[in-house]
Amino acid sequence: MTSFVALSHGGRSSDTARAAPLLTAAVLLVIVFLFLPLAIMFRFSLNKFVPGQFMVEALVLENYQKFISDEFYRGVLYTTIRVALVSTILSLIFGFPLAYMIARARSARTKNILILLVVIPLLMGNAVRTAGWMVLLGDRGVVNMLLQMVSLTTEPIKILYTETAVLIGIVAVLLPYMIITLYSIIEGIDRVYEEAASSLGARPSEVMRLVIVPMAMPGVYVGSAICFILAMNAYATPVLIGGPEFHMMGPKVYEQITKVSNWPFGSALAFVLTAVTAVLTILSSITVQRRYGRM
Amino acid sequence: MTKSRDSNTLQLSRRRFLGTTAAGVAAAALPAIPALAQSKDLVVGNWGGDWNDRVVRAFEKPLLEDKGYKIVRELSQAPERKTKLVAEKRLPRGTLDIAHLTDADAYEMDQQEVLEKLDTSKMPNFKHVRENLRSPYFMPWVYGGVVILYNPKKISEPPTSFADLWNPKYAGRVGVIDQIYFNYIYLAALAAGGTLKDVKPGLEKLKQLKVDSKPRIYPAHQQLAAAFASEEIWISANYTARALQWENDGLPVKLAHPKEGAIAITFGVGIPRKARNKDAAYAYLDAMLDPGVMAEMAKVTYYAPAVDNASLTPELSKRIDFTPEQVSKLHFVDYPYAAKNSAAWLEWWNKEFKSA
Repeated sequence: MTSFVALSHGGRSSDTARAAPLLTAAVLLVIVFLFLPLAIMFRFSLNKFVPGQFMVEALVLENYQKFISDEFYRGVLYTTIRVALVSTILSLIFGFPLAYMIARARSARTKNILILLVVIPLLMGNAVRTAGWMVLLGDRGVVNMLLQMVSLTTEPIKILYTETAVLIGIVAVLLPYMIITLYSIIEGIDRVYEEAASSLGARPSEVMRLVIVPMAMPGVYVGSAICFILAMNAYATPVLIGGPEFHMMGPKVYEQITKVSNWPFGSALAFVLTAVTAVLTILSSITVQRRYGRM
Repeated sequence: MTKSRDSNTLQLSRRRFLGTTAAGVAAAALPAIPALAQSKDLVVGNWGGDWNDRVVRAFEKPLLEDKGYKIVRELSQAPERKTKLVAEKRLPRGTLDIAHLTDADAYEMDQQEVLEKLDTSKMPNFKHVRENLRSPYFMPWVYGGVVILYNPKKISEPPTSFADLWNPKYAGRVGVIDQIYFNYIYLAALAAGGTLKDVKPGLEKLKQLKVDSKPRIYPAHQQLAAAFASEEIWISANYTARALQWENDGLPVKLAHPKEGAIAITFGVGIPRKARNKDAAYAYLDAMLDPGVMAEMAKVTYYAPAVDNASLTPELSKRIDFTPEQVSKLHFVDYPYAAKNSAAWLEWWNKEFKSA
């Protein structure tokens, strides 16, 4: 660990000596509360599930084989990846202009108020927020009532319990994370670059495309990675506003472990989800670094 | 002077020594003190929401808490509670003294060897528990059955069989609840002339329902109630208690006993083997069976009491109790069969029914 600190930061040995004990607590915490449970869960995923007997000690790959060979579960994984990707892209599209606006706000007061407005949704529990969406999107919800009031429709449109509703719900959860991450990066981009580009004849859209976006790439990457990971592991939103016929990985893990006490298969699902999330995040990191250099 | 000071010092230190020793003895005795106080401490695992509110009001507060018991409640759905019981199997002591469960949950937990075999001699009220509901590791409290629920304004002729859910007249107006999927598998088996010991004919029959009637699938009871209220659906199957409660709340819902017989469900409690305070747990169980508590529970939950001496008014008894004929037709879940197949049924429900 000491050498790792020295290597990664190239720090002097006195810095290293000071950093080591500080890191010990965090490393221990991570080992005890993250890696150990993960290791136990991985071990569970190699056990056998015998109906009526719960979990039977074994060393088999059948839970992973079942996942790979079963079209239904593969479909659940694809849905999860699709929803996570689309909601991340939507968060980026909606989040970038807002983050830019906040970062370039003229007065500090306005900036603070805007940041507060972005953060407020985070103070609310995820389930509470989702309940709000249910009231809005239900067959007899606010949205359908308004649509019928202005005579756009006569019969309620089904919004709740669809993938669209899940996307709306997840993007609403992700936006604050995306905006705050992007904001902190854009804030650090000196205005002189924009002024220089403008003075050389670039139109505002070109300034955005050729100057701001490339310089904000580290923020785009970090924000997207956070959002993607959160969306892959979404639970409350798909359950509550996706409804019974919409399947994502998080709820399936819960279902296997609690509804039918199939810990081995539930653990295998959890591992597949963790591994796929990690691999996709790392792959995208490599791609982005190749394209835009080390961040 | 010096001497006296010395002797003073000596005295002081002797006093201090005595004091310290006394403190030490007290500290050593400390674990015994909470153990004594603990005799009236209970940790109860129960469902949350309305159910728990009613249990507290009708039973736990007047019979236990007002008499000095200190109840700590751990509220969750049954699967979480079961997972906890199993996970704590290897620990020296568990967290729960009482686990509220259904009869089927209790069977599963007994298979996992986490429930105490009940010592009925510690519960004088136990002799009134109905014979057909008894089991060695589970104390039944209230029971009900899965029956047909229908909107009397839309369906003038009361349904008589579970097969009425398949009536083409009600296509698009049938509602089911995802949470209690197994009940639909059971009732389809009964409608197809099968039994709860072999649901295969039911699976085929349910698939047909999906294709013909396009049932609406709701996540939980609340959404089904809302769908009845908005007349989005006219017919469903659910527990007797839900039907009576919704009818009482003014929803357009009536219940009809199917000629096949209702599918029984019993709610009750078990004592975990790893419970910390078993004496208090037995006191809790015995108090549950009090005739007055039973009557109050029946009144507020609409479930029928599992004892034969509940002080129900004749009017309430008529509303919630099963007639002897209905009791004789009750179908009880075949626990070993259910435990062996429940994982496969959930998969079937996810893949074949919901996704079809």
